[in-house]
Amino acid sequence: MRLLRSELLKLVTTRLLLWLGLLVVALEVLVISLHVSQDSLSSLAEPGSQRDVISIAGVAALIALLVGVVASAGEYGHGTISHTFLVAPVRERVVLAKLLACGIAGAAVAVLAGVVAWALAALLLSARSVPLQLGSAGVVRPLFGTVAAAAVTGAIGVGFGCLVRRQTAAVVVVFVWLLVAEPLLAIAHVDRYAPGHAIASVVEAGAQGSSLLAFLPGLLLALAYAGAFALAGAVVVSRTDVS
Amino acid sequence: MPGAAPVEIHELTKRYGSTLAVNRLTFAVDSGSITGFLGPNGAGKSTTLRALLGLVRPSSGEARVEGKPYAALRDPLRTVGAVLESESFHPARSGRNHLRVLAAAAGIAAARVDEVLEEVELSEAARRHVGGYSLGMRQRLSVAGALLGTPRLLVLDEPANGLDPEGIRWLREFLRSFAAAGGTVLISSHVLAEVAQLADEVVIIHHGRLIAQEPLAALTARAGGGTVVRSPDAARLAAELRQGGLEASEEGGGGLVVAGPAERVGEIAAASGIVLHELRPQGATLEEVFLELTAEGED
Repeated sequence: MRLLRSELLKLVTTRLLLWLGLLVVALEVLVISLHVSQDSLSSLAEPGSQRDVISIAGVAALIALLVGVVASAGEYGHGTISHTFLVAPVRERVVLAKLLACGIAGAAVAVLAGVVAWALAALLLSARSVPLQLGSAGVVRPLFGTVAAAAVTGAIGVGFGCLVRRQTAAVVVVFVWLLVAEPLLAIAHVDRYAPGHAIASVVEAGAQGSSLLAFLPGLLLALAYAGAFALAGAVVVSRTDVS
Repeated sequence: MPGAAPVEIHELTKRYGSTLAVNRLTFAVDSGSITGFLGPNGAGKSTTLRALLGLVRPSSGEARVEGKPYAALRDPLRTVGAVLESESFHPARSGRNHLRVLAAAAGIAAARVDEVLEEVELSEAARRHVGGYSLGMRQRLSVAGALLGTPRLLVLDEPANGLDPEGIRWLREFLRSFAAAGGTVLISSHVLAEVAQLADEVVIIHHGRLIAQEPLAALTARAGGGTVVRSPDAARLAAELRQGGLEASEEGGGGLVVAGPAERVGEIAAASGIVLHELRPQGATLEEVFLELTAEGED
């Protein structure tokens, strides 16, 4: 509990969350205003279209992943990990506290992203006199899915960051994986089981009849990935000298 | 744990690949003492201290704090305060927030943070980002972190590195008062002079092995054992000194080289009413003895 408080305090005493939060809001303003201003009125009136308008909020899951990576690998980069382990020499407990803290932080970013996206969409759609469908389950469900997904990706980021322990390298690997490796998995038709797709299925929360897994299997698979990364990260961190 | 030495290093060995950083090192630090942990750069001091603090896993052997491995301490920050070499902080976090993070993890009240900041004279800069701190300020912040839990033992790795003379003096006075209040200090350095004015005892290592552990006074004796004295009455002085148990050899020109401290020679001369024209300690400086000891370790 003490360690969780300390980890949360770490997250709010640098500008990381502030900048990432601003990034999310800026992206949403850009994407949503473009979407609403470019699309035809008849199209915008569709619930599916309004869901697409706010789907940018899903980016919070990616941002949460970065929060997790920075919270773990970043401590090695800045060298503050030695302070952390001096206070809490049982390192597995530190990893656990980071998992929880980044899960919470990820969810918080997603809540911000969801609220801003929804409010912005409501504002801009009303301005164009489009009847709002933003209350329908199909539209709102992905926002809740994003909160669940971001909590999980925050934890995945921590586990992965513990494994790599180099912030820049970890972020590069994440993007290469998501942009290159997972699309390649589509050739073998196994991409839906990859981490990025599992997360996407949690974000979508069953709102889309796509090739993605359904919400629950997707969530379980994503949690399994988080657990595997966390376990591997904890083992590596416990066995690595800090010098 | 009462009875256990604050620091016990037993047969500690640490290998990095084919490099033997620490080689079956054994020593202990007494409660309430200031021990200088000396050796040239690369001698294995940092590795030893990091093993003591649970940051580095020994290849074999043990390093114990109050009889326990660091990881088994119930409340590490309340037992040991550590100042590591070239401490690193998050540049965008304020000094005060850095300490708040540590305090939260250790279950220490936030009020203590402001106390230690006051203690190291860093209160004014406490809310500024550490990125803008000078080296001396960072070092004070490190010390503040070490003091958070009001520990009984302070472990400092090369704390004087990069400090200006003012900072070094501050640190020395600070450590003296810490020890005077009953605390134990283990402080490493590659420069003997830095700890010579401070330490009760010195542990000297080289190539990861123990070269010497002895009271600073003994090291001083090795260095300045002899005295050069000149007197118009050299022959009588030599006889008096021999009677007093000090070996003296005549050098000609009224000079004597005495195997004893200058104080003792002066006292004997005064008691015998012999006029002295010169009285000075002879021999190597502490630094020379240190270099000689570590050179022996080369073999």
